Amino acid sequence: MDFELSKEHKMLRKAVRLFAEKKVAPRALELDEKGEFPFDITEEMGRLGLIGLVNSGSYGGNGMGHLARMIVIEELSRVFPSLGVFFQAGNLLMFAIESFGNEDQRKKLLPGLCSGKTISAFAVTEASGGSDPTNMMTTAVRDGHGYTVNGRKTFITNAEVADYLGFLCRTEDKFSVFYVEKGTKGYEVTRREPRPGVRCLPVNELVFADCWLPKDNLIGQEGKGMNATLTTISTIGRTGAAGVALGAMQGAYDGALKFCKERIIYGKPITNLQAIQFALADMNTEIEATRWLCYLAAWMLDRGKSPREMAPEISRAKLHSVDMALKNCIRAQQLMGAYGQSPEYRVEIFLRDALELLTAGGTQEAMRVTIGRSITS
Amino acid sequence: MNLIVCIKQVPDPLYFDRITLDPVTKLVKREGVPLIMNPNDLNAVETALQIKDTYGGKITVLTMGPPQSMEVLEEALALGADEAILLSDRAFAGADAVATSYTLASAIKKFCEFDLILCGYETVDSGTRQVGPQLAEYLDIPHVTGVRSFKIENPEYLIAERRLENGYMKIEVTLPALIAVYNEANDPRIPTVSGIMNMASKSLKTYGLNEVGLISADVGLAGSPTQMAEMSEFKQNRRHEVFQGIPEEIVKQAIARLKELQAI
Repeated sequence: MDFELSKEHKMLRKAVRLFAEKKVAPRALELDEKGEFPFDITEEMGRLGLIGLVNSGSYGGNGMGHLARMIVIEELSRVFPSLGVFFQAGNLLMFAIESFGNEDQRKKLLPGLCSGKTISAFAVTEASGGSDPTNMMTTAVRDGHGYTVNGRKTFITNAEVADYLGFLCRTEDKFSVFYVEKGTKGYEVTRREPRPGVRCLPVNELVFADCWLPKDNLIGQEGKGMNATLTTISTIGRTGAAGVALGAMQGAYDGALKFCKERIIYGKPITNLQAIQFALADMNTEIEATRWLCYLAAWMLDRGKSPREMAPEISRAKLHSVDMALKNCIRAQQLMGAYGQSPEYRVEIFLRDALELLTAGGTQEAMRVTIGRSITS
Repeated sequence: MNLIVCIKQVPDPLYFDRITLDPVTKLVKREGVPLIMNPNDLNAVETALQIKDTYGGKITVLTMGPPQSMEVLEEALALGADEAILLSDRAFAGADAVATSYTLASAIKKFCEFDLILCGYETVDSGTRQVGPQLAEYLDIPHVTGVRSFKIENPEYLIAERRLENGYMKIEVTLPALIAVYNEANDPRIPTVSGIMNMASKSLKTYGLNEVGLISADVGLAGSPTQMAEMSEFKQNRRHEVFQGIPEEIVKQAIARLKELQAI
């Protein structure tokens, strides 16, 4: 076994950490407060090649892989988890197009998306829920050389700013995936949901009202959309959520550790107190354990394991990282006392953003179902 | 243009508090201190990359040090340098500024063609600011230190702005020349993913004493006219006191306390 990261992965981590600390950290508080989408930052990430890590060079990506993507998400989330969520949600359509779309779709959409010049979103959840997509009401009915789409999607990250939206819907008694371009007649983003965390990314409701789409907008084969969607969500959405959670708790831990070293009580830093050392030791251990669960899932994807084959590994990474992130972000706040609640110290942002991960890429319960089935079947 | 950038791997200043002095051997103990490219050298690499972006050319990065110094060369290659040379040999160890510049100059004469050599203005570990000028002397070319900006209007010469304590000086220098770049010169770029992925395919050569064509008496500790006689640890006994109240009262309290401590 070799637990050593490659030279390239180490250098990537260093580069992303520098980018996060230099370009993102000084603006995180303001972006969170104002709820503004950081277009300039995502464009810069595109220029650096960070967005197209799992897309191939033929379409504007670089193919560095899933472990590289995990490291990027971790490092960005360590400073500002909302940016990690940008990858968690923004890479979904990019993966679906490359894996299930046709050559024309890849050439049309991917170079812009990889470069950060255009943005995408992916819609599955409806008012009836997201864990059971078979309940969904959105339909696409054959109409001439295309389809007429009707329905409503909810809690869709980035829909408001997306140039392209991928979505799952019913086609007769099966499911299919399509994409729609911003400004298409009959497609409208209707409202922005107020959210406690990830406030710089919009989370929207959107409506299709007799929205006609050409056949060219069908991704993959008609009726094969459920498999494409579940594969995409597992490979990109769940691993992405795991990486955001990992980075968020690392950021909260780093903030708490720095605070504890500087906090003087009775003439000494509180890190001299064993109660504080025990809390930090537990956090440190849980972060390291989570990191390896996350890296294992990404590493296996890079080795060509199919998402179906490794569903338990991916689910374990997502389940554990989100549980640990919530636990350790709260623990970081406790260590910092009232300062932990102050946005200025940013630990409270980590907690609010981590809360959003409970459902991102699938609920914690859905992860337990996947793991449970794999060990009892 | 053929550009050479001389860089150095140094301990990360963020972790200088971890550096200790062995009380018996008097050697500096750097265990556990992360190593980075000297910050001013990053400015030199960035300057070379900007010249290449504007005028085209080839960038060779050069360092002398133990095998692990390869890391900073790889970083420069990921940033966009074209090839790298590591001068590594036990005989080079313990070199002062003169022995270092002599070794670098010998390697440049043997392996490189150049129009311009770039160095960082100073290193964060030794900070002598001597290697750049000495290297230029060994190569018999003009040099300018503390360069904060420059223009190349003609392939024959460049006009550099050299930072002074209370202003700057404009200097015209004929090429080939050496410039030592100050940290105000630019904001070093961050490597791109494609730069990182292409790094491994670029040329990185390692040369030792024999390959450079030197003898051990002229390099390393043996070839250094300056030798360290003694090293001692400087203990700082800092403490802090907090005064509270309105600014006028705080100032009075602080002055009274400084007088009491006979500091003023």
